Amino acid sequence: MKAFDCAIIGAGPAGMSAAIELAQAGTNVVVLDRADRAGGQIYRSAADSALPDVASLGPDYTAGADLITRFEQSGATYLAGADVWHLGDDGRILFSYQSETRELHCREMLLCLGAMERPMPIPGWTLPGVMTAGAAQVMLKSDAVVADGAVFAGSGPLLYLIVAQYLRLGVQVAALVDTTPRQHYLDAAPLMPRALQQVGNLRKGLSLLREIRASGIPTFRYAKNLKVIGDNRAAGLRFAASGRQHEVSANTVFLHHGVQPNLNMSRAMGLAHHWNSAQMCWQVSVDAFGQSSVPHVSVAGDGAGIIGADGARAAGRVAAQNILFRLGRISQADRDQRVRADLNDLSALKPFRRFIDCLYRPTEALRLPRDAETLVCRCEEQSLGDLRKGFEQGARDPNALKSLTRCGMGPCQGRQCGHVVAGLLAQWRAESPEEVGYYRLRSPQRLLTLDELGRYDTVQAEAAE
Amino acid sequence: MFRSLQDDDHDLVTLSVNGRPVNARKGQSVWSAMAVAGQVVTRKAALSGEERSAYCAMGVCFECMVEIDGLPNQQACLRRVANGMSVATQDITEDSEEIDEGL
Amino acid sequence: MKADVLIIGGGIQGCATAYHLARKGASVIVVEKDYSGRHASGVNAGGVRLLGRDMAEVPLSKASMAMWQTLDEELGHDTGFRRQTLVNIAVDEMDLATVQAREAKMHDAGFTHERIIDQVELRERLPHVNPNCVGGMISELDGYAIPFKATSAFRLAAENYGAQVIEGEEVMGLRRVGDAWLAQGARHRYEAETVVNCAGAWADKIALMIGDNVPLSHAAPMLMITARMPHFAKPVVGAISRQLSFKQFENGTVLIGGGAKGFADRANNRTRLDYAKLAAACRTTAEFFPIMRKASINRMWAGLEAYLPDNLPVIGTAVNAPRAFHAFGFSAHGFQMGPVVGQILADLVMGGQCQFNLSPFRIDRFDRKVL
Repeated sequence: MKAFDCAIIGAGPAGMSAAIELAQAGTNVVVLDRADRAGGQIYRSAADSALPDVASLGPDYTAGADLITRFEQSGATYLAGADVWHLGDDGRILFSYQSETRELHCREMLLCLGAMERPMPIPGWTLPGVMTAGAAQVMLKSDAVVADGAVFAGSGPLLYLIVAQYLRLGVQVAALVDTTPRQHYLDAAPLMPRALQQVGNLRKGLSLLREIRASGIPTFRYAKNLKVIGDNRAAGLRFAASGRQHEVSANTVFLHHGVQPNLNMSRAMGLAHHWNSAQMCWQVSVDAFGQSSVPHVSVAGDGAGIIGADGARAAGRVAAQNILFRLGRISQADRDQRVRADLNDLSALKPFRRFIDCLYRPTEALRLPRDAETLVCRCEEQSLGDLRKGFEQGARDPNALKSLTRCGMGPCQGRQCGHVVAGLLAQWRAESPEEVGYYRLRSPQRLLTLDELGRYDTVQAEAAE
Repeated sequence: MFRSLQDDDHDLVTLSVNGRPVNARKGQSVWSAMAVAGQVVTRKAALSGEERSAYCAMGVCFECMVEIDGLPNQQACLRRVANGMSVATQDITEDSEEIDEGL
Repeated sequence: MKADVLIIGGGIQGCATAYHLARKGASVIVVEKDYSGRHASGVNAGGVRLLGRDMAEVPLSKASMAMWQTLDEELGHDTGFRRQTLVNIAVDEMDLATVQAREAKMHDAGFTHERIIDQVELRERLPHVNPNCVGGMISELDGYAIPFKATSAFRLAAENYGAQVIEGEEVMGLRRVGDAWLAQGARHRYEAETVVNCAGAWADKIALMIGDNVPLSHAAPMLMITARMPHFAKPVVGAISRQLSFKQFENGTVLIGGGAKGFADRANNRTRLDYAKLAAACRTTAEFFPIMRKASINRMWAGLEAYLPDNLPVIGTAVNAPRAFHAFGFSAHGFQMGPVVGQILADLVMGGQCQFNLSPFRIDRFDRKVL
């Protein structure tokens, strides 16, 4: 089988940026992406938006169109609609493509798997009508679909961004319920001066908040004790703020309290991960060039710690230069010279990131459920009470708890419950998440029909060109 | 209530959702077509039978699994609409019995 | 730490042994290098199978099967056991000849639990089977259990009787000093009169510490489980001559086995899968049960399992040291035997007697073999 020099998984800002560099250097690079068109989540449909007024989404979004065009013209082999479900540390990749299974081999692998939203297991979060703020973004970007009269609840820049976008588009918003605790503003204040180095980013954030305030929609601050009300459908959000109970009626509730790396694939692959206590999530352990514990596997973008789209672009370029060095295409000195500017930019982003991470740090009350009946595992319907019982029966390890209760065994493969279970066990064992560990994950990383797996073929590097 | 911001009606396809005809735009996700049509329930939870709907809309939560053209476990947020497509709420629970009697 | 009996390995054999011993009043410590049920005992296919057993195993397996029927009540915990007939499908006349020969052999030995079924009965029991299949062989006491739950049930029951299960504790050294066994764990030291080796895929290392050599190998049988499907097959399904094996659990998920092996990386405590072989298993399953074509695979995995050259376990006393016993090497069919093996080992430890003929399972049965 003719192998590719490099396979990149994911065509977001990191993957596209890396592919452009690698293709320009004349390597045989293939990019596999589940979507029909490149962009990832952040630049989703940026090049072919269905929106009548795409400028309303802001310049950060429209800037994606240029990157997508450059990527599509780069000469990299792009397999759109390739749904990767197995990454082997031997360089073997299995994916579903047009309802069949395909296998390809690569010398170097670059994972650009991006982020997913941090689940928010509050009472009622499984009711139809409760979605994430990211879901609102996706529906808006790819299908120009919005929800009128929704309530937005939680904390963090992405939450304010979608609210502002809705307002610009004239979509009615029932309320913004901000859960950022008062204490976080105090904690973050000392980090502010250094964050000012990224004054542009800071100004963008402030102008979003100003825009929302100016719109006159009901805004609640320091909200606590969130609960989605409704019997079979979301009917509204109940919460406490300014010392009293509130209730906002809405058919749609969008929740958000930050994003975390999308790490099922990197976990299943057996890469080393560590707990990021500032971002309260696991991430792949990498060196300055994005190289993981398996030298021929690199990670760029949010998968190795949340850094945002600009950071992801720089990290993608850095990883690409290191891969060129590993492939013997450039010298170490060339690599070091070529990555200098991007590495500087990446470290310049850090103070701002530290400030944001501190200000919008997910609160324990929203990260871990408190009512025994609240579901942790949505797929297998395991509640906090069920897990506690399993723990008391001796299942102290996330995998033992999974085996005993089926928590994390459903189709989402622990994507929704993994961090919550690790957090709960850490609390119950009075140990760090690092000591508690995480689920052992297995391929396939998506549901796969027997028919699909049964039809198994290989993709040669030449044939794909 | 979900609605589309696109007011033109070119490139429409017709699919059926739980037997009802639904118009959608070519390239649109099955989930957003269902949402705009007011059909937000995608599946029944496997144990309790409670109704569920899309949560993340980006392929990670697997809540939006529906049956498409008789094939279960299809993520409505990842699948694109097609003319004549038949979409149904997925109601496979622990107690479901196969209705096809086999031979 | 001191106890009458030190059991090495917290799988189903170790936990069942601990349960039977503790119930008889012995003080017991189980040490487990990972967590109880981490390997083969917790991640196997859950088959509780008497059908098609090697003749040497049949008496033990039959006794164990009787125990399974009431195990939940006995242990006071849910093992997930469900009695569902096991059907081994015959594809053609050659398979039928195989089952007829098997039946004659079983009858000669006085066993009547296996029965041949014809094509009509096969289709009644499995309406979705490929119509080309001609018949099969069944055993009606058979069924399945949930492996991790069953192992946990034994552990919890043993703990109820005072046994101590110490997880995350690997035995680094073991030696006989005077009348005692001294074990050095990664964290603690142990002293016991008697040691029982139930260390599964690592049992050869423990056997060596005891003084017994054994030609143990290990492999990684692969499994796939589907998302829930509407119930379409009650019996557990196998085949006489093909790599077909699946069962639909009460929760609707379908577990597909078939014996295809992945790669066992014992040194790193992990396994790898061979996807091309799993693809072949998918084709076989869909060929026999077309309804399975639409089934969605949710997870695939492999467990580390210990094998002996004759595919029979080691059960019995150590030959080169006093007060030491073995139970391991079940060669991918030990889960069903767990309950009886626990009882046998408890009997051996407490009184030195056993109602079964254990000579086919002696640890030194390979010693005299000349290659």
